[in-house]
Amino acid sequence: MHSINHTFTFSHPPEAVWQFLTDPDLMAQWLMKNDFKPIVGHAFQFKTNPIPSLNIDGIMHCTVLEIVPFKKLSYTWKAGPGNGKIELDTLVVWTLRPIANGTELHLEHSGFRDPENHDIYKGMMNGWLTNLQKMANYINTTQHGTTHA
Amino acid sequence: MAQPTLDTFQVIADPSRRKMLKLLSKNSLTINNLADNFDMSRPAVSKHVKILHTAGFISIQDIGRERYCILKQDGFNELQEFISYFDKFWVSKLKKLETLLNNKLDNKNN
Repeated sequence: MHSINHTFTFSHPPEAVWQFLTDPDLMAQWLMKNDFKPIVGHAFQFKTNPIPSLNIDGIMHCTVLEIVPFKKLSYTWKAGPGNGKIELDTLVVWTLRPIANGTELHLEHSGFRDPENHDIYKGMMNGWLTNLQKMANYINTTQHGTTHA
Repeated sequence: MAQPTLDTFQVIADPSRRKMLKLLSKNSLTINNLADNFDMSRPAVSKHVKILHTAGFISIQDIGRERYCILKQDGFNELQEFISYFDKFWVSKLKKLETLLNNKLDNKNN
């Protein structure tokens, strides 16, 4: 499983950092516009500009999974080209730990598709359709008139 | 040496070849590096590499004195693009958060 991990330390208590992770107005100031609510099961969106290189329309579809005040926050993070199509189905987990002079904040963004999963077939079918067609043409041509079972 | 022509599914149906593609999706490797990950003879590894090469899943390039196997699959690149995009995304956002929090602290002290 592929994941992104970052640890940042802040010279502020976990309560202050927590505010910036869970107050929609404060979140908008550093992350993205959103309609987050600190309620488990709440579905919300982050909105940014489209990201054509990733085939993402700029809307992150999220659902709050876990809230442990001042300690842990997690939500799903899905995105795609629009029309409900999802290309990216991932998980964001924030963990806060009080340290001597403030807070250690850890981010894990996980669930990026592993090539060994089904996507290997999908990816290869998409990327290699042309090659398969070529191969089929080649086989049809070379086997024309012969019967290789 | 003649190799049987395998279709895409036959090529990736083999667990060793899938593992090779997976390893190569992270890094380009020499055939020797690749062989270190498998409990099979070097000629057996070479045979799989040749099959992957023939099917167009990898390219083989001579760099210096080594032969490198390099993945040629768009699907894998897409995965790397997602990860690299969001990796940079989070670093820049977290730096912004740091600035905001520091400003907040300054305001309090003033």
